[in-house]
Amino acid sequence: MNHSSDPHSTVPLDEAGDWLDRILAGDAADHRADYIGDEGFTSRVMRMLPAPDALPAWRRPFVVGLWLVAATLVATMLPTVFLEAARQAVTLVAARPFSLSSLGLGVVALGAAMWTCAVMALRRD
Amino acid sequence: MAAAIRPHEIADAQLIARVLVEDDRHAFAELVKRHQSSVRACLRKLTAGNHALADDLSQETFVLAWRNLKSFRQEARFSTWLYRIATNCWLAHVRKRQEELLGDRDADIGDDDRDDADPARDSGDHAAMTTMKLDLERALARLPEAERAAIVQCYHNDLSHEEAAYVLGCPVGTVKTHILRGKQKLKTALAAWAPSVSTRTS
Repeated sequence: MNHSSDPHSTVPLDEAGDWLDRILAGDAADHRADYIGDEGFTSRVMRMLPAPDALPAWRRPFVVGLWLVAATLVATMLPTVFLEAARQAVTLVAARPFSLSSLGLGVVALGAAMWTCAVMALRRD
Repeated sequence: MAAAIRPHEIADAQLIARVLVEDDRHAFAELVKRHQSSVRACLRKLTAGNHALADDLSQETFVLAWRNLKSFRQEARFSTWLYRIATNCWLAHVRKRQEELLGDRDADIGDDDRDDADPARDSGDHAAMTTMKLDLERALARLPEAERAAIVQCYHNDLSHEEAAYVLGCPVGTVKTHILRGKQKLKTALAAWAPSVSTRTS
């Protein structure tokens, strides 16, 4: 029977409030002290893990070779597109008057972009 | 082939690095061995003593840990990270079933008239302690999931409020509120275990 709500209680308020903390702390101490034996648990977990990737050693060079073949085919079939794109790019860059300040600005912009990428990649959260 | 690992000689962080870099399954097995007891105990508490369910969820927890180890950025202890996964597994299970996990167990325990048991009438301290633990377990099981999880993380797993907030994925203030509300409900449920007090006699 709980008498703690009795207005004439002689138990101090904080003591009356602490009894639950004591119960919880005691239960928590028992909880932490009780070690649960493995009894095959780890083995069961390891069996549930996905199978390791067993890719053949020739896979990487084979994929790289395929990409090379595909790129060569595209370049052979569409030579004018590549040539035109390259010519336009050169014209665009060559037509721009370069100055030391614009070069410096470019370097700063490139540095800022790299820093941003690095921060994004390394951020912890 | 990975070298044999002597227990407790290698820090968790090194074992994690081995898993990530070398895909070392022996290292992960060592991590599981180290933390299985605390994770299973935590889930047993959250599922209020349903050992079979707790073990299933524990296995799920470690498999998820394996799959997501790359995302572990060591902003918390590995054990705390595991508690987080375990708690999420349990909450997902609760949501999926949409029913009280220990309803049946509650009924089983409730049928033996323990509600009417007066602690003072128990023959010894041990019996009283056992009865009290059962009452506490039942009272915990009746708490809403969020309040139960907050109390288990802070008391039973001995986490700080900040760590519990990380595990539960909510602000620290919310954790404190859950604990406060949960304890109020526990006080009501365990009123019979409040210290008996002498009243003034005039």
